[in-house]
Amino acid sequence: MDEMEKRLVACFSAVLPELAPEEISQATAASVQNWDSVATVTLLAVVEEEFGISIDHEDPARFDSFKGILTYLQQAVR
Amino acid sequence: MKLVEALDIIKGVEKRSAEAFTCFLATGLNPLHLTTFLAAELGLLFTDRKIEIQHGLYGDLLGNVRRLAKADAESGVVVIEWADLDARLGIRSSARWNPAVCADILATVQTHASQIQRTIEETSQRMPLIVCFPTLPLPPISFVPGWQASSLEIGLDAIMQSVRSQVSQCDQVRVLSSQRLDMVSPLRERFDVESELVTGFPYRLAHASALGSLLAQLTRKPVPKKGLITDLDDTLWRGILGEVGIEGISWDLEHRSQMHGFYQRLLGALAAEGVLLGIASKNERSLVESAFGRKDLALSPTIFFPLEASWGPKSEAVARILKVWNVGPDSVVFIDDSALELAEVRASYPDVECIQFPTKNNVAIYDLALRLRDLFGKSAILEEDSIRAQSIRRSHADANAYEATKVMPTTFLEGVEAEVNFNFNKTPLDPRALDLVNKTNQFNLNAKRYTEASWQNYFHNPASFLLVASYTDKYGPLGKIAVVAGRQSGRKLSIDTWVMSCRAFSRRIEYRCLEELFVKFGIDEIELDYVRTDRNSPLREFLGEVLGEAPSSGCAISRQLLETRSKIVREPQEMTNG
Repeated sequence: MDEMEKRLVACFSAVLPELAPEEISQATAASVQNWDSVATVTLLAVVEEEFGISIDHEDPARFDSFKGILTYLQQAVR
Repeated sequence: MKLVEALDIIKGVEKRSAEAFTCFLATGLNPLHLTTFLAAELGLLFTDRKIEIQHGLYGDLLGNVRRLAKADAESGVVVIEWADLDARLGIRSSARWNPAVCADILATVQTHASQIQRTIEETSQRMPLIVCFPTLPLPPISFVPGWQASSLEIGLDAIMQSVRSQVSQCDQVRVLSSQRLDMVSPLRERFDVESELVTGFPYRLAHASALGSLLAQLTRKPVPKKGLITDLDDTLWRGILGEVGIEGISWDLEHRSQMHGFYQRLLGALAAEGVLLGIASKNERSLVESAFGRKDLALSPTIFFPLEASWGPKSEAVARILKVWNVGPDSVVFIDDSALELAEVRASYPDVECIQFPTKNNVAIYDLALRLRDLFGKSAILEEDSIRAQSIRRSHADANAYEATKVMPTTFLEGVEAEVNFNFNKTPLDPRALDLVNKTNQFNLNAKRYTEASWQNYFHNPASFLLVASYTDKYGPLGKIAVVAGRQSGRKLSIDTWVMSCRAFSRRIEYRCLEELFVKFGIDEIELDYVRTDRNSPLREFLGEVLGEAPSSGCAISRQLLETRSKIVREPQEMTNG
């Protein structure tokens, strides 16, 4: 797990505290009960704060899984 | 505070097993992260409570304020933004703009603002309310360039100023200071256009955090510090008195020492508000007294009592001042320009707030004044505030008189023409009563503290009673100095709260309170919800004296027992109201 992934895991852990650390990398909005629209908005706000970026909220489907957000970050932060 | 930190705090708060502090947040915006920041900040303030934030419906500010009026909450927070008063003042509306529409916007805002004002005024009768007026900039509706104030902007400001002024007159309403908000959250960095469009939450995180912090602080009534001990040289004035002499010290523009005069003016204001002021200075006392004879001082030197000018350690001077004031170290601020002196005092009194006076740094002195205002700030000045310093001087004189004459305490008390006044009125609740309950540590039955709402709720019980005792003698009034709150059940009283100001010790007022309760309610027994605390030894000693043994939880005093123990009471003149 690289540094970016670790920081993203910490963001998930703050917003979805019921997720065990080992579950986070596989998490999707469909599989996590408390991952609703408010959780998405909060998660993206925490990610923006953590990585100092401004996320384009178009195409929200990109942000409905840990992997989707990680992929977005890998492109946005470079 | 960062959002992730707020979430982390909330996680900890949710694990608390205590009763929840419930706050209703009434706003027309999507409260989203504001809720998170507010809950986290409240969690930090109310360390022994869970936090529950209730909401209304999105886009319905007036409806939400009405919901708040009926909510089962301990406190209400009303956050108003321009778009709540007229949707055309927000960016989510599709209504057209043109110069002619401005008058209609003003009329709509006036109507909605008046409705909100009335609801706030009504709701504040039953719970404390925090009100925040618009914090976001107006959109560019008006035809004038942005650097010119438009008639729309001026008109809207006038409406808000009027409402702000009206609601701030209500006893239980506290209005968020827009000046303080401006200092911690610049206007340009508040509005989040993207977030407003996507979620209906218009604040940037930093602004939401600042707002959450200030709203939370307003939710809890301030517990101001009681006393300030100041150094003199390079603090109250510029220069070392012993070196430059009386005419060499300064506090004016001419000598570039004006900020010492500014500090003096602040101390003068604090004294007038009831703050105790003392001096701890390494100086010759006679020289200090001569310096205080200078006519151009920006304060009256009589506000300082005691004046400790000597060459001994400052911690010893602080000890003597604390003894005269009879207050705990955690209620006191010590200011000195010397880091060494501060460290020496801090080593003896870690609870005293020690602050270095930043001599020759004018900006830092200004900031110190702001900090002191926060430390000593209170929502209202009560009668007791104006007589506190005088009564301490009198008590000190009384003690000296007693030492000089060596008469028995009871004999001495008989000669002071003591008059105790008992007031049992529950409506309206005397704000001084809650102040005393939440500030008093030493003569305190159990250290139980109340929020304004929980205090009010307590007296909704018809069996409850409130006793507020005031005291005066030939040396002058002490004001309201004791509070007893409890419930009657048949021929028994249960006392849940009993506090007495340390200024009223050694006057047998505690005996008079008990006697008055037996007489007023015709009861046989008083049960006390006594809890031993680290600081309530005066109360413990009194109960031990009455009970003839160390008090325990739920201990009781019978009428007969009190009559046996309180023979020392020498019929002070007394009046009962309510």
